[in-house]
Amino acid sequence: MSGPRYHRTREQDQRLVAFECQSCGYVSFPDEKQTCKRCGDAPATFEEVQLAERGEIKTFVVQEYLPDDIEVPQPLAIVDLPQADGSGESARVYGLLTETELDELSVGTEVEARFRELFDDGERPINSFKFSVPREVKR
Amino acid sequence: MTDAHVVGSGIIDFGEKYEWAFDDLLEGAYLDLVESVDHGIEPTKDIDAIWYGTLDIANEGSSGASVAHATGLFEKPATQIVNACATGSDAFRNAVQAVKAGDVEVALVIGAEKMLDSTEGLIGGAALERLWRGRGVTMPAFFGMRATRHMDQYETTREQIAEVSVKNHENGTKYPHAHQQFECSVDDVKESATVSYPLNLYDCCPVTDGACAVLVTNDERSREFTDAPVRVAGYGFSTDSFMRGDDLALTNFPASRQASSMAYERSGYGPDDIDVAEVHDCFSITELITYEDLGFCEQGEGGTFIDDGVPHLDGEKPVNPSGGLLSKGHPIGATGVAQIAEIFEQLRGEAGDVQVPDAEVGLQHNIGIGRNATGAVSCVNILER
Ligand SMILES: [Zn+2]
Repeated sequence: MSGPRYHRTREQDQRLVAFECQSCGYVSFPDEKQTCKRCGDAPATFEEVQLAERGEIKTFVVQEYLPDDIEVPQPLAIVDLPQADGSGESARVYGLLTETELDELSVGTEVEARFRELFDDGERPINSFKFSVPREVKR
Repeated sequence: MTDAHVVGSGIIDFGEKYEWAFDDLLEGAYLDLVESVDHGIEPTKDIDAIWYGTLDIANEGSSGASVAHATGLFEKPATQIVNACATGSDAFRNAVQAVKAGDVEVALVIGAEKMLDSTEGLIGGAALERLWRGRGVTMPAFFGMRATRHMDQYETTREQIAEVSVKNHENGTKYPHAHQQFECSVDDVKESATVSYPLNLYDCCPVTDGACAVLVTNDERSREFTDAPVRVAGYGFSTDSFMRGDDLALTNFPASRQASSMAYERSGYGPDDIDVAEVHDCFSITELITYEDLGFCEQGEGGTFIDDGVPHLDGEKPVNPSGGLLSKGHPIGATGVAQIAEIFEQLRGEAGDVQVPDAEVGLQHNIGIGRNATGAVSCVNILER
């Protein structure tokens, strides 16, 4: 190994670039692949698409027990991120949330991707997106 | 082609077995099997091949040589199966296939796990270097997300989810090999510590050491070992992932639907024919959604299904009479094998205080997630007497 595994998707992590299967419309993120997870096309043709920074919580949990180096409570969601131009399907991703209050979170809540430090790997901070409830959406 | 039959089983009491080395677990289950085959067995002569299930969490049992070392069964094919939490069931399925194919006459299936010797811990294992695919996604979180959405989408209540744990703990007090021998109430579950909202401590299976073995053979030799063989009527195995975009995978496990469809089709039985089931209840919510995935009830009605008492020991379709993973424990490589052993006993009328009256057809279901925390592998086996 010449570097940590998370460096392999650095480009996608920082720009929300995804890949759309030209056979079935499946949007792959962050994996840039040659085969399609949904339709099984192999090789599949993918086109690069830009994801929007606003998405929707499909479901979530708030984790209370994690390894010592991860802060708790840690809210975690499955988020659908639509394409920036409104076309095609959304990408479905795991996302960390900044909100920890349960009454701020529900299935269907709109969230915004914000570029943050996710953790420090001992040498440098690792930056990517975390999701927050936008101020105007907050109840 | 011959059918495959289960003709013997052996198990050790599940629990925190600090005094037992990993080899001792395997040896204990193996000896219990050898000593309990109705008409006896000469293991070194009779057993042709071994399928051995373990994730080897304790890091001292990898490769088929480990099972030979623990049991003395050398000079035979011994295959280690690793398939996340469905490891034991998949070891069984592979043995059944080899027996049906006529390549093996008598197969030993044995699974073991020494969970308490894990150096890293299961929670620690969740901290991946994958930003978008499960960094810090623990198993309680993975299953908890299904609970959150099931409650939102189908108005399933927190109490209904807790009832699964209440039922299985009650069954576990009547099952001699169960790790956790205590009863709990819905309030106990709701008031236990939050592990990963919405799941609490009593929604989660314990951390348990254990081992279990079963003997599988063909038509011709089955009566050599017992007058009451249990036929393997069907099996299925599949994988799926929520990342493929199907909303059903946010609440349920499409892989379980696929695996059970395969098993139903092979066996000629349907969900209504199942008299007793041992299903994967690593968390309370897992069993509730599995009622739906196996077709025991309609989609979204798992909560009503348990509210109505259908899966209780005295209900119309008893699920997890052994107490399930929630009470019996979940020593990963042994889990699926122990489910098979319980169905074997049920169909032979040997299940003691948890016997389901007149059970003729039984189903076993086991899923696994593994470190690719995006979906499940699922294995379903159907047995009949
Ligand atoms: Zn495709």
